[in-house]
Amino acid sequence: MTNAPYPEQRPTDPAPPQTAKARAMVRRRATGAALVFQKAFSFLGDVDMDTGVIIARGHEHEGQSIAGKVMIYPESKGSSGGCIVLMTLAKRGRQPAAIVLEKPADPNIVEGAILAGVALVCEPERSLVASVPNGALVSVDGTTGQVSWSA
Amino acid sequence: MKLTDDEKRMLDGQRGEPAARALDYLVQFGDAFGAERFVDVIYAHYPAEMSIYRGNVEDAIEYAATGARVCIPTTSSTLACDLEQWERVGCPRPLYELQARVVAAHRRLGVLGTYTCTPQHLGFVPPKGSYIISVESSAIVYYNSVLGARTNRGGMFTRFSAVTGKYPLMGYLLDENRRGTHLFRIRLGPDELRTDADYSALGFHAGAIVGSEVPVFDRLGTPTQSNLLALGAALATSGSVTLFHAPGHTAEAASIEQAFAGTRPKETHEVGRKELDAVRDTLTTVAPGERVDFVTLGCPHYTLDQLRFVAEWFRQHRKRVHPDVRLWVCTNRMTRQAATWEGITQQIEAAGGLVICDSCPVESHMRISTCKEFGLKTPQCDAMVTDSCKMARYVGDLLGCKTALRDRAACLQTAAAGKLL
Repeated sequence: MTNAPYPEQRPTDPAPPQTAKARAMVRRRATGAALVFQKAFSFLGDVDMDTGVIIARGHEHEGQSIAGKVMIYPESKGSSGGCIVLMTLAKRGRQPAAIVLEKPADPNIVEGAILAGVALVCEPERSLVASVPNGALVSVDGTTGQVSWSA
Repeated sequence: MKLTDDEKRMLDGQRGEPAARALDYLVQFGDAFGAERFVDVIYAHYPAEMSIYRGNVEDAIEYAATGARVCIPTTSSTLACDLEQWERVGCPRPLYELQARVVAAHRRLGVLGTYTCTPQHLGFVPPKGSYIISVESSAIVYYNSVLGARTNRGGMFTRFSAVTGKYPLMGYLLDENRRGTHLFRIRLGPDELRTDADYSALGFHAGAIVGSEVPVFDRLGTPTQSNLLALGAALATSGSVTLFHAPGHTAEAASIEQAFAGTRPKETHEVGRKELDAVRDTLTTVAPGERVDFVTLGCPHYTLDQLRFVAEWFRQHRKRVHPDVRLWVCTNRMTRQAATWEGITQQIEAAGGLVICDSCPVESHMRISTCKEFGLKTPQCDAMVTDSCKMARYVGDLLGCKTALRDRAACLQTAAAGKLL
């Protein structure tokens, strides 16, 4: 390396991976592209149960699929019904890879994540809605609560 | 979670594969919420897997096919149709057939086909201090508060508790989460706090203030069984209340001090006539004199005595339901059979009303989402009058109609007049 005539040039140096701790809820590990929501999300009504495509009119991610994504959102709305939607999505293979919830997770979403085999963490030490770029590759460890991503 | 030897054996499959899998799910659930151990539950009130959530029906049938069987007394909550008179009320055949498949799945699981939001009226009355698991918010509040049994707000995992007899020790099963948080001092005379609609309005007012916390009521008058049911149902509508205390009337706290268990109320509120009137105004979007085409009583499902009141009212006033009005008086099947034996069902039907069981308008084919799925026109009613804040709150969105809140007698007057009085 020292024999190189020029200093090594790496203009596209990737930013170092970032991490944050969250509360571990459902013990699965998963990696996927981030789908970051600025507003509360409801599994019942906001997403098509058969395809995983967001169908709520005027939604920030209308037309995009949650399948295989790491969903990062501030809070759930309409707490009941989320469980059955997650389960139905899993039967079709259209479930998200992981869920990162900023508010405490309610039992309904935890039940859904367990049945669907989706990693779930909540209450991160800092807002991940604010810090993770949409589309970034995110890893979630539902056993330790560790969330890591590179921009 | 720390498991007993018996639980470890269940997890190892000694009680069969379905029980082992169910317990594994409950371990994951308990771990997520930091529960240290399981408790034995003695009763479960089970979700009815209404066809309005499409995935529910296929899932109920698939689950029954795993060979799982409940191991504790297990009742079932409301369905989308009256199983005995679905044609008469306009339920489409495919919807009925879907529900009939759920009924068959429940029989296979050993779940009793009670299909009611008030299993406590059928004799499922767990003792004070017992652990149970229940779905249906109005039943949950009643069990916790009036009876002093302990349950969280059950969801899909209620089935796993029914199959294993276990639930993680957490939430409202623990003493420290059963303390009062908000004090409501009632400033209402006996004539202002008497009917189920009055208690319902009080619950709707308080629920909006406390959200998911524990209200304590001081001077609740002389509430009846149905008054306390109405209060709890409304608390779980405007808020997500699981438990309330009314010392002297509910199971756990004998005094206001005991209800707060040495802590101070976070907030104290006085409730008078003004507060109850505000609830009635909020939930009433029909103007006096305006046409009404639907009157619903029985949210939560009526008792035999409430049905008797309806029959008596028509007889005493020599009135009939207006030809343009549908009157549904909702109850469970056992109570309807008792009412039929008494001649009450026949009197209500002779006056032009229907005694509905297994269901209610909100769960029925009239729900907009269900109409869409079965190709029915919406909305199916324009203006509904009811004596329940819970019904009034939900039909606005789910059926897409205007609403009015009135007490039972005024609801019946409205049914006879065909317009809001």
